[in-house]
Amino acid sequence: MRDVLVMILAGGVGKRLSVLSMLRAKPAVPFGGIYRIIDFTLSNVMHSGLTHVAVLPQYKPLSLIEHIGIGLPWDFNGRTRSINILPPSTGKKSSDWYRGTADAVRQNLDYIRSMDPEIVLVLSGDHIYRMDYMEMIQFHRHCDADVTIGMIRVPQEEASQFGIASLDATGRIVDWEEKPAVPKSDLASMGIYVFSASFLIRQLEELTGDDFGHDLIPHFVREHRAYGYRFDGYWRDVGTVQAYWESNMEIFDETSGINLKEWKVATNFDEEGRIGDRPPMRIGPEGRVENSFISHGCRIDGKVIHSVLSPGVVVEKGAVVRNSIIFHDTVVGESSTLDYCIVDKNVEIGKNCRLGDPSAGSGHLCLIGKWAKIPDGMRIGKYCKVYPLTDLSKGSRRVIPDFEEAGEPPI
Amino acid sequence: MTEVLAFILAGGRVDELGGLTRYRPKSAVPFGGLYRIIDFPLSNLMHSGIRYVGVLSQYRSSPLINHVLDGSSWDFYGRNRQLKLLPPFKGEKESDWYNGTVDAVYQNLDFVRSIQPDLVLILSGDHIYKMDYRPLIRFHVEKKADLTIAFVRVPPEESYRFGVAEIGGSGSEPGGPVLRYLEKPEKADLEWASMTIYVFSTAFLMHCVNDAIGLLREQPTVEFGRDVIARMVQQGGGKYRIFGYKFSGYWGYTRTIPEFWAANMDLLYRPDRIDLEKWQVRTNLDHRGIKERIPAVYRPGARVVNSMICHGCEIRGEVVNSILSPGVVVEKGARIFNSIIMFDSHVGRNTFLNNVILDVDVTVADGVVLGTEDDLSPNAGQVCVVGEGESVTHEAAEKLRQTGIL
Repeated sequence: MRDVLVMILAGGVGKRLSVLSMLRAKPAVPFGGIYRIIDFTLSNVMHSGLTHVAVLPQYKPLSLIEHIGIGLPWDFNGRTRSINILPPSTGKKSSDWYRGTADAVRQNLDYIRSMDPEIVLVLSGDHIYRMDYMEMIQFHRHCDADVTIGMIRVPQEEASQFGIASLDATGRIVDWEEKPAVPKSDLASMGIYVFSASFLIRQLEELTGDDFGHDLIPHFVREHRAYGYRFDGYWRDVGTVQAYWESNMEIFDETSGINLKEWKVATNFDEEGRIGDRPPMRIGPEGRVENSFISHGCRIDGKVIHSVLSPGVVVEKGAVVRNSIIFHDTVVGESSTLDYCIVDKNVEIGKNCRLGDPSAGSGHLCLIGKWAKIPDGMRIGKYCKVYPLTDLSKGSRRVIPDFEEAGEPPI
Repeated sequence: MTEVLAFILAGGRVDELGGLTRYRPKSAVPFGGLYRIIDFPLSNLMHSGIRYVGVLSQYRSSPLINHVLDGSSWDFYGRNRQLKLLPPFKGEKESDWYNGTVDAVYQNLDFVRSIQPDLVLILSGDHIYKMDYRPLIRFHVEKKADLTIAFVRVPPEESYRFGVAEIGGSGSEPGGPVLRYLEKPEKADLEWASMTIYVFSTAFLMHCVNDAIGLLREQPTVEFGRDVIARMVQQGGGKYRIFGYKFSGYWGYTRTIPEFWAANMDLLYRPDRIDLEKWQVRTNLDHRGIKERIPAVYRPGARVVNSMICHGCEIRGEVVNSILSPGVVVEKGARIFNSIIMFDSHVGRNTFLNNVILDVDVTVADGVVLGTEDDLSPNAGQVCVVGEGESVTHEAAEKLRQTGIL
């Protein structure tokens, strides 16, 4: 018998993250320079003292599986600890892809039975926050609940994107609506569920329905003891490029509530492009960095202002990077200017390019996909999208006007 | 395949490094922000495909042991590879410290026997360089040498500090026979200085060490340069095949504070000669929690020019021509020039630092001035050192101005 089994749902396609999630699952999207989004959840699990973890990937899981490895960075490898990756597989009764959050867990009931936990903690791998899950589990036990859902207040205008609950004075959920058009409250589900294991197993055996929020929680609220656990720290669903950009920029805003240093987020230093093996960052005689978050191995000979740079980014002489996020090993050529851009890994930007627009703001970001090639002198406007692997030097286009895109979505 | 066992002589303190070796051997002194000096030979060994390494430690060995551990950072941990830390030990016959480099190897001949290598490569743990040892080993094998020593060209006026040699052979070869060898001569016209990198055929090493160890009856220590190389070249009368191998890359010799400081500054000024990215230097990322740190944060007011900055740094002030290790905090109004700031040191508000080395965990109080404000150019002669964990108050700064060390 194990106390708590953690199941992290990491199958999200993250369609609204656009080019960033075309070649990788949403939880594997880089964040904050050296991290990936799922690091926040994995580190929370570690810091909560939980030691048995399953990760359920589905969509483009390669980056994710490589990133998790054998779980060493989060201390899940050892005599009394474990991390298992549970991809969808054929050969089960329902030999099929995971059709939703509940279905993913249902298809792994055998695994849950074999682990024999008292509590199953179901998490999603795509949020930025720091939380001690043990407090929530204590609350669940204290309430003698069947299921407890992590809840956070969100701005009223965003509430329709979430499962929305109303709680009574004891914390019991008295009303639940999944993504309501007109929300009755601003208390949103964080996609974090504490289940009593026997309850979870019985319900998933008996009930149909593939999605917790949509199909099962409304039933639990009506028929069983469903509680809401209020969380009031920093929490962001970085599901859109705008929210993603804003959350990244909050890293160096000391009033935002996100504090990577205190959170002690752990990441895998040993995977592809080995973060740890890179030399310290270098700022050249003409380089300048202001109000930014810069990773190992960057070489800055131009200007970087209010931006987040992943390891190995090169900013050549005369280049200016403003209000942008740049992933690993991308090169910004001489005298090129970037404003309000998110540039994925290994992009080659030539000389004298202009990408994005200083007036764009976070609502009109210019997005450049992984392995794209941007030739000298290229102009790419605001709210543009260059798909991964697009080689613009092969065509004759030298200008991509605002709101347009270039290339084809990858397979 | 030629099996090679490497020894790294990493026990030395080197008095000239003063404050930096107060609590650690020279090989464990931080270099280039992120690294320790011993990372350079260890990384060279890894990239040269050498699989068996003994690290000989002695002086204040615990920081070194913490850093090297099982050698997995340099891929020496595995089924067919091994790194062994070899501190002095009490034996059956005698219980003693290592009395010099030869004695250190002598006391660990059992380790040599257990590995049974064809060749033994002896390195020192205190130089900054990138070298592929394989061409050196190939040269040694081709020449059927007993001993091959790597040399680097130095200005003749510097030769009094090194073992220097005259190397014969045609210029087209990577080296030639050692015709003359002088250990730290008062005057010499010889320009090839020993890098204290030795390739010994195992049997010859056994012979040399067993032969030289007897000198301990007459002198306190036995050293390779003075007591083995010089004697074998001079007295051998050509009996032994001793070769010199000429190395032409960057060689950072960091025996004194100005040299240590200058070799660090080469990272900023001579990237063509010393390029850590190309060199692919590895370090132990668990030491001092390097892995746990976040990327460097540049707050409003930060101005950083021609510098190397490690992750975990937080910068609100001005940093020019300087190297910052992980976790350094530079407060608002601080101005740092030509300085090396090691792990987790904290530079207070409105301070001024010029040509300063701060060891790890140093605190500089608000408003303290270290170094001259009249001349902001790098000046090795002016460098002052603040030792590990010191707190630089205004009074301490006054003392530092007088003595150059704290």
